[in-house]
Amino acid sequence: MSSTDRDRILSEFIDAWNAGRRPDVDDYLARAEERERGELADALMAFLRFAPTPEYSDEALAEIRADPIVAPALAAAGERAGLLPTLFVRLRARLGMSNADIAGELVSSLSLPGDRAAKTEAYLGRLERGELEPSRISGRVFDALARLFGVPRAELEGAGDVGGWAAPAASAAAFRASDEAADAAAPHLDLLAKGLSTPGDAARDEVDDLFLGGR
Amino acid sequence: MPFEPDHVLLGRFVDAHERGDLAVAATYWERLAVNNFDRVKNTVKGFRFSAGGPGIPPDEHGSAASEAFLRVIAMSAGFRKRETGRFYAALATCVEHACQDFGRKELRHQRRSAGSLDQRYEPDGDAGPYDAALAAYDADLRRQSKDALDEEASRQDAERLVAWGIAQIKNDNHREVLELTYLEKLSGQAIADRLGIEPNNVYKRRERGVLELERILREQH
Repeated sequence: MSSTDRDRILSEFIDAWNAGRRPDVDDYLARAEERERGELADALMAFLRFAPTPEYSDEALAEIRADPIVAPALAAAGERAGLLPTLFVRLRARLGMSNADIAGELVSSLSLPGDRAAKTEAYLGRLERGELEPSRISGRVFDALARLFGVPRAELEGAGDVGGWAAPAASAAAFRASDEAADAAAPHLDLLAKGLSTPGDAARDEVDDLFLGGR
Repeated sequence: MPFEPDHVLLGRFVDAHERGDLAVAATYWERLAVNNFDRVKNTVKGFRFSAGGPGIPPDEHGSAASEAFLRVIAMSAGFRKRETGRFYAALATCVEHACQDFGRKELRHQRRSAGSLDQRYEPDGDAGPYDAALAAYDADLRRQSKDALDEEASRQDAERLVAWGIAQIKNDNHREVLELTYLEKLSGQAIADRLGIEPNNVYKRRERGVLELERILREQH
């Protein structure tokens, strides 16, 4: 294959991209000889980094939204805990670790007593199920998880910040209609939330603070 | 929902954030992510751990793209820039980090150690390897007169960083082809017709220009 072939394949990809035909890099790499694929991939990446987004048709946008990667991600982003549970599970799986493994690492990196591993694992289970409000998880836990997974802390926090807990729906009409009603109900709701989120069989300890104490 | 360009969505996302309307901001970011899904997916497929070297194994492409896409959505929490060039730089950094993490997976299995793989990230950096180009671009803007800045501000924000990068390319032929490729989105044949040259020359100038532009934006000096 000559460099002219590589140039042409790159150029055809660019034309297809700009026309909104949704070209697939694999198809173009497959047309290149094996020894040329690395250089062609580099050139394709160089284009893609700053390529203008094409004006997709309605059909193309619908296809993208239905993609098996996109659809579940968008659905997860709409959950109360946002993407944090999904991202946590994916990162954990990529490292081939269980919640018990993660809990052991956290106990060590957060200098917790060894007997807190089981409780930490229980909290990780709640995180995974979307039962923990991300904004209540301490920065120390995010730091430790970010180091463990090798991702920026901001991405983990951001995964939680896109959820319904972070961007709540507008207040109920009754509460908007009367500040007094909201004021009267607030302490009861806070108490209820605290009761629901705190394990009831033991006094609150440092693990509770790490997962419920806020950033 | 009909297509809207990235610069429109990005502007509305920042506006919504500035007025504290996080739910609306999230919908605009979601649409940005959808607009850029093909960029994410193709970047994962074309990613190489070193120039011209091996990439992510094909059977891992789906997992890597899923993780990268999740991380692109999560980027919304810390991104507040209005320019698409900066958005693309941050997105490229995010996706390439996700790809590198798949290499780290193998490394981790080899080391059997959890705590030794955290040397790389600058959590506060939006754009990583493109920071130098972004700083130089900002410095150029500051050097311009107020009138020039006003004129610049009146232009569409969308491709300013890319347009600035293209303007740095010294070879007139390469620069010309890139302007027609990125800014006017002409096909190779249309560029050949416009410039009165053979398509093969367009292909060659495009490849060299694309690589040069990426180098300028990555390693501005």
